[in-house]
Amino acid sequence: MNKKVQRSLAVVSAAALVFGVSAVSSATAAPKSVSLAFQAPLTGSNALTGQDELTAARFALSEYNATNPAIKVELVIADDQGLADVAALLAPGIASNKKIIGLIGPAFSGATQASLPAYKAGRLPLISMSATRVSLTDRRAPVNGFPIFKRVVANDKFQGPALARYAVKGVASPSVYLVDDKTAYGKGLADYTKPNIAKLAGSDSVPENTSDYTSVVAKVKASGANVVIYCGYAPDAAKFVKALRDGGYTGIFAAGDGVLKATFPNNAGNAAAEGARLTAADVPFEDVATPAQMVAYTKLTGIKVPGSYVTSTYNATNIFLACIKQGIVTRAGMQNCLTNGSFKGVAGDTIRFDRYGDIIGGAAVGAFTIKAGKITYLGVA
Amino acid sequence: MFEVLIDQFWSLTIAGIALGFIYVLISLGYTMVYGVLRMINFANSEIFMWGTFGTVITNRDIFHYTQTSEPAKGWKLALVLISALLMSMFVAALTAVFVEFVAYRRLRMKGTNRLATLISAIGISIALAELMRLLTDSRPVGSPRVLEKMILTEVWGANIRLDTVVTIIAAAIIYILLERFIQLSRMGKAIRAVSQNEDSAKLMGVNLNRVITVTFLVGGLATGAAGFFYITVFEYTKFNIGFTMGLAAFTAAVLGGIGNIRGAFLGGLSLGLLEVYASAVLGTQWKAVTVFIVLVLVLLFKPNGLFGEAVQQTRA
Repeated sequence: MNKKVQRSLAVVSAAALVFGVSAVSSATAAPKSVSLAFQAPLTGSNALTGQDELTAARFALSEYNATNPAIKVELVIADDQGLADVAALLAPGIASNKKIIGLIGPAFSGATQASLPAYKAGRLPLISMSATRVSLTDRRAPVNGFPIFKRVVANDKFQGPALARYAVKGVASPSVYLVDDKTAYGKGLADYTKPNIAKLAGSDSVPENTSDYTSVVAKVKASGANVVIYCGYAPDAAKFVKALRDGGYTGIFAAGDGVLKATFPNNAGNAAAEGARLTAADVPFEDVATPAQMVAYTKLTGIKVPGSYVTSTYNATNIFLACIKQGIVTRAGMQNCLTNGSFKGVAGDTIRFDRYGDIIGGAAVGAFTIKAGKITYLGVA
Repeated sequence: MFEVLIDQFWSLTIAGIALGFIYVLISLGYTMVYGVLRMINFANSEIFMWGTFGTVITNRDIFHYTQTSEPAKGWKLALVLISALLMSMFVAALTAVFVEFVAYRRLRMKGTNRLATLISAIGISIALAELMRLLTDSRPVGSPRVLEKMILTEVWGANIRLDTVVTIIAAAIIYILLERFIQLSRMGKAIRAVSQNEDSAKLMGVNLNRVITVTFLVGGLATGAAGFFYITVFEYTKFNIGFTMGLAAFTAAVLGGIGNIRGAFLGGLSLGLLEVYASAVLGTQWKAVTVFIVLVLVLLFKPNGLFGEAVQQTRA
């Protein structure tokens, strides 16, 4: 709101007081409305993640609005490209919009960390659907999200052990080679995966955007490893798995949620991606939603198979909506509702947040594989 | 520490040479322009990136290969590969000539200082990268496999793979052709004349503008060929790959002695090998550190690069 508008509003309200005119009755008759913000990458190389998540937020909201509620909810969509520097520029604007009483997101950990100062200053409650970095809810971390940050996704502290477990499942005498991409996400996940590996054949860090993976492949082969765990993102994982297969490596390739994207089999090619073991702090929406919900989802979004983090985004949105249904229209009220409330997830699970924002008992980690170029859900890892 | 290097020495060496040849071809784009204009062609990295898309479009959109289709064989294979090579060279050469017209020619005619040209080259480089970002939605683009990466034979425990062999042989042929063109053809002599002394060359009746355009064209052809080999080996491209590859190739050019074609050759090969050896011995996170320490050391003792001394005599 600019200064001029503020001033004219002040004049109007002063006039209302002087002349004893009351606009209150007409204001209460009109339905109240509040806004929820949604922050994720909608363009850029990780746009797919945000676009998938946005369908879930839209869907949850359409279900809510169909019930003709007393408080209307609007969605304010913010595109941070998954980048910390973009998020840092974007967050103050969202924080200053007082109509926004809650934010679904941010989707990425780095972007979340960069957005936190503005949101903390504005006391805007956040529920992230996919920011998995441990420090965000670690009370000892120098920068954590306390008290505004909550998440409905398992953090890497849970994903790391699950990844280590799933990667070697059914492998006789597994010997693991661990590779990370030097990013905050990749290095973090690798650090939580490493202690859970029984026999580590070796490890390497290959910076993001490397083209040539020859020397890592040579090292994997020299180490005699039969399981390779990659902690990084899909574009690089595609190049790496291709180089591994072309180099004659026939063992297991496993990776975390950064790789669980349709672009991974697309860029790696079906042959190289086949059988890759992937984990994500996510369960597919079509496995937990009712058939009627799936029909409605497809009708609204035009998407038959929901992408990643649709379930968690749907849950995050519904948690906000459950509080709004109770008549909450302020940030402080929302903060209180999230901290003390108990919510139902789409799978029928009970969601309550601990003091630092994680789900009590931990969110589930799903196990996936690639079959003929398609991501297939296997169960809980 | 060295067991990986010893165990996998020959695979690493062959991969390093293939990568080195890609660097050689890109660094020709830098070194030729530098030789003639005494200016760094900052847009060369994006010329390379556009060149990679020439191959992707040929494979994917002209010959309709997909991620699931079988690799080509026999005559079809030769046809697709040669078309893709020519397409990449064409796209890159066209981009290079465009860069020369837009970023260099007019400023040169106006006699502006070198900084203006430098900035206009950087500007057009950013514009080219951002345009490709918009065209591809910032997403990585995978190229379907056309050349089957079969293992031809095993030498001292190293797999000799078809794609690396093709890259090494074809890139060497292209390099030799270019080198001969510069040494023997009339135009090549004109290019060398301009690079040695612009004013004298002009007095001898050399058409300066034509020489400069041809220099960009030839540099673009080499860089485009590099784009083709890059896709053949790595099957992947993105709007921002020009930066890392361009920086590496520029390093190779400086390492060998910028402005010197043979320097680019040896600089590129040394860099390719150095990168894979350093990654194997110290870990990939040390690759960039090692490469640039070596570069600084070389420049400390040989400020003109490994072959820079010969520039005045055999600059080509």
